[in-house]
Amino acid sequence: MADEQISVSQLLDDLAIKILVVEPGDLSAVGDLLEVSEKLLGHAEVVDKPVLAKMADAFKKALEAVIMGEIPDSPENFDRLGQAVSLMQEVNRDDAADPHAFTALLTAMGYSVDPADFGGVEMDSSDAEASGAEEEIDTRFLADPELLTAFIEEADEHLNSVESNILALEKSPDDSEIINTIFRSFHTIKGIASCTDLDRISHLAHATENLLDEVRNNRLALDQAATDVVLAVCDRLERMVENVQVVFEKGVDHFVNYQVDDLIAQVGEVMAGADRQVLPEAETPPAACSVKEEAPAETDRAGEAVEPPTEEKIDLGSGDIPDFMQDADLVAGFIAEAFEHLETIEANVLELEQAPDDIDIINNIFRPFHTIKGVSGFLNLTTINKLAHSTENLLDDVRNNKLPMSADTIDVVLGVGDYLRNMVQNLSDMLEQGPAVYKEFDISEWIAKIETLQQGGDLAADAAGDQEKEPAASAPPAPSQPPVSPAQPPAAQAQTATASPRPAAAPAAPPSGSAAPAKQKIGASIKVDVEKLDGLVNAVGELVIMQAMVRQNPLITDISDPKLNKDFGQLSRITTELQKTAMSMRMVPIRQTFQKMTRLVRDLSKKSGKQVDLVMEGEETEIDRNMVDSIYDPLVHMMRNSVDHGVQVPHEREAVGKPAKGTVKLAAYHKGGNIIIEIHDDGQGLNTDKIRAKAIDRGLMNASDNVSDHEVNNMIFLPGFSTADKITDVSGRGVGMDVVKKGVEKLRGKVELISTPGEGTQFLMRLPLTLAIIDGIIVRVGEERYIIPTIAVQESIRPRAEHYKTVQGQGETLMIRDSLIQVIRLSHVFDVENSCARLTEGIVVVVENEGRQRALLVDELLGKQEVVIKSLGGYLKDIKGLAGGTILGDGRVGLILDLAGLIVASEAKEPFVLQHGREEKDAASFEEETTT
Amino acid sequence: MSSETATREESRGGVKELAGKYLTFALADEEYGISILKVREIIGLMEITAVPQTPSYVKGVINLRGRVIPVLELRSKFGMPAQEYNDRTCIIVVEVRRSGGTIQVGMLVDSVSEVLNIAAEEIEAPPSFGSAQVDTSAILGMAKIKGDVKILLDVNSVVGEGLVNQLSDL
Repeated sequence: MADEQISVSQLLDDLAIKILVVEPGDLSAVGDLLEVSEKLLGHAEVVDKPVLAKMADAFKKALEAVIMGEIPDSPENFDRLGQAVSLMQEVNRDDAADPHAFTALLTAMGYSVDPADFGGVEMDSSDAEASGAEEEIDTRFLADPELLTAFIEEADEHLNSVESNILALEKSPDDSEIINTIFRSFHTIKGIASCTDLDRISHLAHATENLLDEVRNNRLALDQAATDVVLAVCDRLERMVENVQVVFEKGVDHFVNYQVDDLIAQVGEVMAGADRQVLPEAETPPAACSVKEEAPAETDRAGEAVEPPTEEKIDLGSGDIPDFMQDADLVAGFIAEAFEHLETIEANVLELEQAPDDIDIINNIFRPFHTIKGVSGFLNLTTINKLAHSTENLLDDVRNNKLPMSADTIDVVLGVGDYLRNMVQNLSDMLEQGPAVYKEFDISEWIAKIETLQQGGDLAADAAGDQEKEPAASAPPAPSQPPVSPAQPPAAQAQTATASPRPAAAPAAPPSGSAAPAKQKIGASIKVDVEKLDGLVNAVGELVIMQAMVRQNPLITDISDPKLNKDFGQLSRITTELQKTAMSMRMVPIRQTFQKMTRLVRDLSKKSGKQVDLVMEGEETEIDRNMVDSIYDPLVHMMRNSVDHGVQVPHEREAVGKPAKGTVKLAAYHKGGNIIIEIHDDGQGLNTDKIRAKAIDRGLMNASDNVSDHEVNNMIFLPGFSTADKITDVSGRGVGMDVVKKGVEKLRGKVELISTPGEGTQFLMRLPLTLAIIDGIIVRVGEERYIIPTIAVQESIRPRAEHYKTVQGQGETLMIRDSLIQVIRLSHVFDVENSCARLTEGIVVVVENEGRQRALLVDELLGKQEVVIKSLGGYLKDIKGLAGGTILGDGRVGLILDLAGLIVASEAKEPFVLQHGREEKDAASFEEETTT
Repeated sequence: MSSETATREESRGGVKELAGKYLTFALADEEYGISILKVREIIGLMEITAVPQTPSYVKGVINLRGRVIPVLELRSKFGMPAQEYNDRTCIIVVEVRRSGGTIQVGMLVDSVSEVLNIAAEEIEAPPSFGSAQVDTSAILGMAKIKGDVKILLDVNSVVGEGLVNQLSDL
């Protein structure tokens, strides 16, 4: 408590100073003020100073209004805010300042505050929170008329739909879709009500939502009693919403004080009375009530956060599980967001290593923690909340220059990030598999570390931090300095250079190149539903096709009017441009994926005692959003190889005259419609002789074969070859290389390896820019057209009779360039009629997939084209041998072959029977021809 | 919301809830009806790309303004004799909800007749022939209108959950 009191004073001082230096128009500074006042609010509530809390709350809201532009950010207003702060300081000292002066100040700014808020609190401070909350119900929800109107409309709509759905449900009680709809309605009502500060409506809706959640998870039957309660809730809510509207239109006098406790209790009874598989703590309905009676949620959060860790752990079991199960939707949202935030954190922390004093980066780390803290607090995920909160505090100290950004701090923040990720992962597991998989996380260790750091302690003894020394106590505490403005960099700028060199650190030059663009990128962007985007791409694709068809119409081609022809030219340029733009909207820079590698290299080199510089190039290179996740795994395997096996340990390197610190270069660029990703290490290169020996040993080649070193090196990608123990031990290559190859092929890409003994190894990964477009060869089989992905095609030839061999009279093969390749008759596998029955009349396309070669027999090659891949839709998914469809130039659908599936399908199919004796005879005559 | 409610009623409720607007179409000399709320659009016959390894009633896929959608031949689906396509043959594109969103499917029919407002009292429960005779699981009810009978179909069960299950048997 004493600590809190001190920090309240500190916060007020901080606020007073900051407000002095705020410049009108500097919204980020105001944002900073807002954050401080938020903290003040939290702490004031903890130290039980309701008046101060109220003031802080009003102050905070006034700041929000300034940010929103509702109040002009004039110097006068900042003066008033300053005076308001001094009033708050007075209140903090003796609890006896005049709140009316405070409200007058804010009112003068154009921000209306109800003095009754403060008066009510003073009158009855023992019951302050409860009565305060009641008073607020009257006024707070009226603060934003627009929000309120929206709420009334939506709530009405939802309540109506709930009612009709419940009636529908009575007829078909097992229809989960209806239950879901009702659930969603209550969920929405809950959400918007709490936004609008209509706490009671929100609580009632929340309790009902919990009930319905039980129902939809089949833990509770929706019997007569339950239905009645839900209907009763509906009626009550309807009346409450109606009253809100009346109050809104006619004034507060018409406010009817509806109670909701009775109904919440009823909901609780229904839930408790049912025979369900109860979670250890079935505190669902009481929780809903208690939230209401206690202070607003914010108080809870702040209160919890400052409790000592010992209490925390007791809380943990009962806190996380049940609440977590209640709000599955919200939790799912939180999980997705948290992962994103943790990624941001990691990327920024690594950047921070290069520029420890960059306040912007610290802010970029601070904010995600802040968000995680906020949301987890809201969801009652107390352990996560607590850990995020502590880290946030630590970072706050750093950005306020109370603490140096030492190597230890970075390690701790990274460690916390990882730990949080595990915790969130566990949440996600629980969401999928139920509470049984709940794992207990002990955060006390991290909290202790953070506290040590905050007290200026040194974790150097810690094993993790052994290689670095903490930079000499840097930046003197200068709390008066507003840390936001980049124009005033902290005094400790010079310290950057002294930050000890770290193994994974990039050289001094690149960071400016790699770090700077990251910041520029924070431009305006909007999130768009992928479906809408696909719709746009579809429509544009169709536009292009239609335009081509119109232009090819003989009536049009005959037109000789130059103006019209010119216009057509213009039209086609615009449509092409439009198509390009539409496609590019799916593209994102590859930076994010690359940044994950920074971490990987850092950890790997630390572990293996090597010194490795990671140099990145071309992080701006854009790649299809859908591919980002898929390239991660292959990339990790290749990076791991380069660091683990490519780069030697320092003394070995020095022995061969190389600098002790190795370099791994990761580069991306566009080339010929592909994206190329290069990983280049300056290590020892592959031991080609050993690989050759191994290949001969495994019968992949003969000792006498004239196979180039390059081909031999690339054998490490062969399945089975890579996992072989010897290669890994001897030459150090091959862990998971077939994984790489498979992953890359799945993306319709290719991977290649170039090794120069003694100088290093280079991986070249060639990937299509997008998964949405495929470069294909269009073939005709009978009257059908199929598209074969070009990347898999090795050659196409017209087979000659003497190359045709059968096995047991059925298995057809072709001898092409000394290798025997099985023939797949597309017409047979796909049951196409009217296809040429004779091999020699058609054309075979030799394709390769996962090391297997096949010759596809088709009637004709029609051309090569880039086509947009479309799914065949939910109805026809997973057809063996087909990767999807596409719209061809004439507007018809063409089917794209999936070679892996096709090979499987052809093997599953009964063998091709040489029908009517014709082919048989032909085959026989081939044989004769060849033998004679 | 109201359309969703209607859907439920149509597929699960008693005959009384079946009243509403229906699009009627012909297959051979029988008349069928489907709830108008399910119908996205009606298009003329267009070139259909056959998709291999599917049941025979799946005629293939078409390009519906850039979307690839499957087309089912209802005659074949109901085991009725095939007929040459003519200029009255058309594809009714229906939209059905299923797990994971909505899907669009084309139904190839002989000809489209009209949109009828069918009252509850005109609808009768589907006749039962025993499942060995005629599979009536996709039939919601029989509407008697001016001496004619329209067979009301449940689009959801005609289109079903897709071919995933059937295909795994192949």
